[in-house]
Amino acid sequence: MTDKTAPSAAAPTRGGIDWKYQAERFALIIAWLLLIVGFGSLMPDSFLSWRSFSAMFGSQSVLVVLTLAILLPLTSGDFDLSGASVLVLSAMLIAILNVQMNWPVLPAILVALAAGALVGAANAFFALYFRIHSLIVTLGIGTFVNGVILWISRSQTIAGISMDLVGWVIIKRLFGIPLAFYYALLLAAVLWYIFEYTIPGRRLLFVGRGREVSRLNGINVTAARAASFIFSGVIAALAGVLYAGMTGSADPLSGLSLLLPAFAAAFLGATTISPGRFNPIGSVVAVYFLVTGITGLTMLGAEAYVQNLFYGGALVIAVALSQLVRKRQPQDFS
Amino acid sequence: MPHKTSVSKLAALAATLSLGTAAPALADAMADAEALLAKHSALPEFIVPGEPFDARACMADKKVMSIPLTMTVPYGVELEKGMATAAAEVGFTFETWDNQLKIDQWIQGVSQAVAQDYDVIDLAGGINPELLGPQLSEARDAGIKISTTQLYDVTQEAVASVDASSKIDFTTAGKILAAWAYVKTEGKPNVVIIGSSDVLSSKPYTDAMEAQLAEYCPDCKARVIDVPVSEWATKIQASVQSAVLSDPGVNYILPVFDSMSQFIVPALRITGSEGAVKIASFNGTPFVLDMIREGTVDMDIGESLEWAGYTAIDNIMRMVCDLPEPQGNFVPLYIFDSANVETAGVPATYNDGYGDAYLTGFRKLWMLEE
Repeated sequence: MTDKTAPSAAAPTRGGIDWKYQAERFALIIAWLLLIVGFGSLMPDSFLSWRSFSAMFGSQSVLVVLTLAILLPLTSGDFDLSGASVLVLSAMLIAILNVQMNWPVLPAILVALAAGALVGAANAFFALYFRIHSLIVTLGIGTFVNGVILWISRSQTIAGISMDLVGWVIIKRLFGIPLAFYYALLLAAVLWYIFEYTIPGRRLLFVGRGREVSRLNGINVTAARAASFIFSGVIAALAGVLYAGMTGSADPLSGLSLLLPAFAAAFLGATTISPGRFNPIGSVVAVYFLVTGITGLTMLGAEAYVQNLFYGGALVIAVALSQLVRKRQPQDFS
Repeated sequence: MPHKTSVSKLAALAATLSLGTAAPALADAMADAEALLAKHSALPEFIVPGEPFDARACMADKKVMSIPLTMTVPYGVELEKGMATAAAEVGFTFETWDNQLKIDQWIQGVSQAVAQDYDVIDLAGGINPELLGPQLSEARDAGIKISTTQLYDVTQEAVASVDASSKIDFTTAGKILAAWAYVKTEGKPNVVIIGSSDVLSSKPYTDAMEAQLAEYCPDCKARVIDVPVSEWATKIQASVQSAVLSDPGVNYILPVFDSMSQFIVPALRITGSEGAVKIASFNGTPFVLDMIREGTVDMDIGESLEWAGYTAIDNIMRMVCDLPEPQGNFVPLYIFDSANVETAGVPATYNDGYGDAYLTGFRKLWMLEE
């Protein structure tokens, strides 16, 4: 999926530590720290306050979870463009069931997660049974889901989602940071463990590196890809649960704009921790690197368009530098 | 006595000078702000847009096609519904060109209106006619008149390709929001205004807020953040968080459109500012009125979309009937806060709470009543 000739995650050379590789692994983290130091020296009172970090950490959990959702198919060599649609569907189902139909919030969340699994299964069915490229299938299914959302919501924004959910997402805190941050972090840690230390996780990585080779080695490639789509749907729905808890409402359109930032974070994350490979911890670092830059610039009084300049610029420059380190080997996103 | 008079004159002059150098007349500013709020807190009355005319006779056999910005948001649906209801009362053909915020669909709508010999094309809810320049020019060549509904602020001039416009009073809405922040903070507003300059009327609206605040208190703080509509979900929360963190003295967030509130509330919750920093806005969108009832939004200026629909039809009919175009705003702006929000319905709707003075008003104006 990513750079097939990239070094493996832990690649010390025979003679000792590969400094170049280690520098690449931690370059984004160092850049992140430099950002913090830079903004901190400019705004020591406001930027370096715990309140400021708590706000940065707490506010990006939806994006982190959505990025982790699309990371699974990316790892197995597929694109999932329906992730943001599933997020919005999930939030809207919770709003409709909880606010309009007076369901308790927990069963509403379970229905939302099941809907995510269903959309993932539909993606898997069309991509794998009919052998259609995942880009086409997930674009189509995502657009279909957008239509379903407009239909079931009658294009309305619905507010008034249970304060229990809002409480468990952003009002309750640990060390001053809303719980949503820890959910996202926990999910990233679980995915990291699965990829690094479990057989299904390693299989998914092999499938992403080369489907034919995996098949010849006895891996059930279809099952691995199907699982990645379904779990992607469930995790995207979980992002929707957090989105509903974050805003206390659901609207049929706005969450869709999170798709491109999620892909940007996934690609930026692939330049760090395990360079050349989509990886959960790298994605988390990427999201918080970006939000630190954006928060600092906005606190300095920069206009909103500067956020786009930083977001786009950081992504392209980081990936370009990463490519320079690996001597501009061609990337394969087939 | 003459001496006494000159002393009192001097004292008055000194007082004036003193007020002029420190702060403006606080009592006057406060009274002015309170009067503006009181005016828009009273149940709306019908504002007569022009002379009465025989609408049925003039609109017989006329056909109007309205192209809304999009039918995927309830605002567009409700506005079109209001226009259709008014047209049905008069008894002429009114069609809505259903679309999903796509320019090719708008172009298709204009082409259909030309092909089917419509008399009027109305661009409703925010379509900028400059985006359809060649198509509207072709329609005008075919004898079709062009109107806009709820696009321009009352201070803005329509482009030459438009024959008549039913405008919105964003300027007054901006002044009301400024007055609200001024009164509720007892003359010490420190506000963050969130605009969307890709919406044509956003600039005069945010300008009005800033100007009004500057008039009330030149030393008060107002910062404008611009977030395009397509980026509300990704930018508003981060921008508000940063603004509140960098200036802990912020006490009001004034988004130009109330639907922005859903992204402001989480920013206030995460920064621990909920309660200390309040939200006031404009539009009267039902879910935001519900948020007032729940205590997460402080105030919302509303306008009945059915009232706006009737006003738009009145404007269109005057254009077709060659009557003078009404100048100004004829859709009342009404303040909802915790005291009266339940009159908007539970859950809130687009049209409840405003009264129905417009129904009898327009029927009389259009000579529909026996």
